[in-house]
Amino acid sequence: MAAISLSGLTKVYATGVVALDGLDLVVDDGEFVVLVGPSGCGKTTALRMVAGLERVTSGTVSFGDRVVNDVSPRHRDVAMVFQNYALYPHLSVRENLGFALENKKMERAERDRRIRAAAAILGLQDLLGRKPRQLSGGQRQRVAMGRAIVRSPAVFLMDEPLSNLDAKLRVQMRSEVLRVHRSLQAATLYVTHDQTEAMTMGDRVAVLQDGVLQQYDTPRSLYAAPANVFVATFIGSPAMNVYEAGLETSGSVPTLVLGSQRLNLPPQIAARVAAYQGRKLIAGVRPEDLAVSSGPGLVADVRLVEVLGSEQQVYFSVDATQAGGAAAAADESAQAGILAASAPNGMARLDPRSGVRAGGRVTFAVDPARLYFFDPDTGRAIGR
Amino acid sequence: MTDVKGRGDPAASQRAAALPGLRSDEGATREGRAAKAARRRAAETESTIPVELYGLRRGTVTLLTTLAFLFAIFTLVPIAWIVINSTKTQANIFETFGFWFARPFSFFHNFSLLFQNVDGYGTYIQWFGNTALYAVLGGAGATALSAFAGYGFARFSFRGSKVLFYLTIAALLVPITALTLPLYLTYAKAHLINSLWGMVLPSMISPVGIYLMRVYVDISVPRELIDAARLDGAGETRIFFRVALPLMVPGFMTVLLISVVAVWNNYFLPLLIFNINTRYPLTVGLGLWSERAQNSGNAQLFPMVVIGGLVTIIPLIALFLILQRYWRGGLLLGSIAN
Repeated sequence: MAAISLSGLTKVYATGVVALDGLDLVVDDGEFVVLVGPSGCGKTTALRMVAGLERVTSGTVSFGDRVVNDVSPRHRDVAMVFQNYALYPHLSVRENLGFALENKKMERAERDRRIRAAAAILGLQDLLGRKPRQLSGGQRQRVAMGRAIVRSPAVFLMDEPLSNLDAKLRVQMRSEVLRVHRSLQAATLYVTHDQTEAMTMGDRVAVLQDGVLQQYDTPRSLYAAPANVFVATFIGSPAMNVYEAGLETSGSVPTLVLGSQRLNLPPQIAARVAAYQGRKLIAGVRPEDLAVSSGPGLVADVRLVEVLGSEQQVYFSVDATQAGGAAAAADESAQAGILAASAPNGMARLDPRSGVRAGGRVTFAVDPARLYFFDPDTGRAIGR
Repeated sequence: MTDVKGRGDPAASQRAAALPGLRSDEGATREGRAAKAARRRAAETESTIPVELYGLRRGTVTLLTTLAFLFAIFTLVPIAWIVINSTKTQANIFETFGFWFARPFSFFHNFSLLFQNVDGYGTYIQWFGNTALYAVLGGAGATALSAFAGYGFARFSFRGSKVLFYLTIAALLVPITALTLPLYLTYAKAHLINSLWGMVLPSMISPVGIYLMRVYVDISVPRELIDAARLDGAGETRIFFRVALPLMVPGFMTVLLISVVAVWNNYFLPLLIFNINTRYPLTVGLGLWSERAQNSGNAQLFPMVVIGGLVTIIPLIALFLILQRYWRGGLLLGSIAN
């Protein structure tokens, strides 16, 4: 059953800024859903509307069958973990955890039992008497989580809860959050700008841009079948290489034209993009789908090689034009002082033993089945 | 030593540092005056704590310090005078040097007079009690109202909130003398003449306090904390007392001090509304004594006015010292991650 359903949820601020535009989203019971997008995409606004902290301009927020648009946050029975924790600084950890229960006028014995249980889940047993200022960043984060857990809420909201932790702790807390989620089985809506967090944590992930939902799917599908160029380049790290391309037929063989280079397409792939014959489209390939080839393929100049041990990230340039947002970003870095001519416009993740050197030339084998195609005007994926 | 902060110019210090070999060569003609000065400056910074005052020149700092020192003396002189003269007899107040002690030492005699109704117009101790009562009620009321209003203005956006706030601030601009007649007439109708509430109610309105609390809440009570408390199911009253107020303590204590001092020192309002001696606060009572000492031949009241003035300021100093420990930062430590 749907625990949270958002329907046509829209937020327009008094200044006329549309922060969220007609968001439809269903979070099932026990599901962990991640709202992800670049900053300013409306994800936090959406979360605050679910919490009741932000007034809904139009559309509805429902918990189960109940529309809660006009229910005050106090009476919504949602628990929220804030980005900056928002712990009560003058209260001890025990009092921080117990505050919500006190508000419910829960009996002291039951309250203590719940506080102890939550503290045990998060390993806070020895810190109950401390004040927030006596805790480390990670411990504060746990208290913020604990404050939500003790209530055993039907709906659990998290607003970038890990963004203030250092990289190592963040990875550690990711699995901790999931562990807690599994033990509580509460419908959870989790906001982040970090696509890695989204991919690793979400049962389903909703990708937002400029207040509009781009795609709502499992992490696997988002990666394998992105709905548009934005999702394709946003999900996956490093980002997908996307280029402006053309589609021609040389003889009877359909070919993809990338700058001055041509890649032959097998019939079943060509059929997918048949409607774009003789027209422009956007072609994308993920860095991990490129491999060094001794035969024909995509020829590129290697600009920079970063060896990470298990792999090497090869920045290269091909004589094709980068598409959309990626091109704009490249322009910016070119203006920032990097010579535009030598700026890389693509990236590959290769085996560290592949012997690729900066300044050299390399031929990538491209599996046409691993290519992504998008409409150049709408950005939508083609043939899926 | 080349790392001289905010003192002199770093280039000069560096030059000085580059010339260690010349150090013993005092008076050598090839040393320019600038190099000497630079070396002296560099040497000074080694031995003294560098003074940093907005990067001002040393001469400017000295001038400003001197001015501040003179101003401090100027403000402390009357207090010194009152302390010294509280130990003198009536004759000595007028006949001996004002800024030194004179025999006989009559501090305790003067002090005991404060408890006596010397000329039949009232006792100091009663006025002291009145003042304390007015100040406690008015000051506490002003502080409470300022805290509520400041929090409301800072953390709720409601229709007309801005207009209301500006009206409050505008009240600061109206001189109290302009309100004398309307205030008196209103009081007469409302039977507030000679009434405790006539004194306390107006004292409870403090535009400065409201303004201060609003600003203080803005910087010290994060919205996230209030949001968190709402989601934790707390009502607004509970949020105010349990979450916001503990964070407002330094601002709260400041407003408490300002309000108590304002009521304690208020002369105009009680003069206007009280015409029964037993209702007077200290300001009006001492004023009455002072006037009778000068104009009605009750010269024996002079020492009492002096020591009365001294005793009047002691509770305020005590209050300041007590409240001082509440002025501390870091109340939010650990609450909000940046």
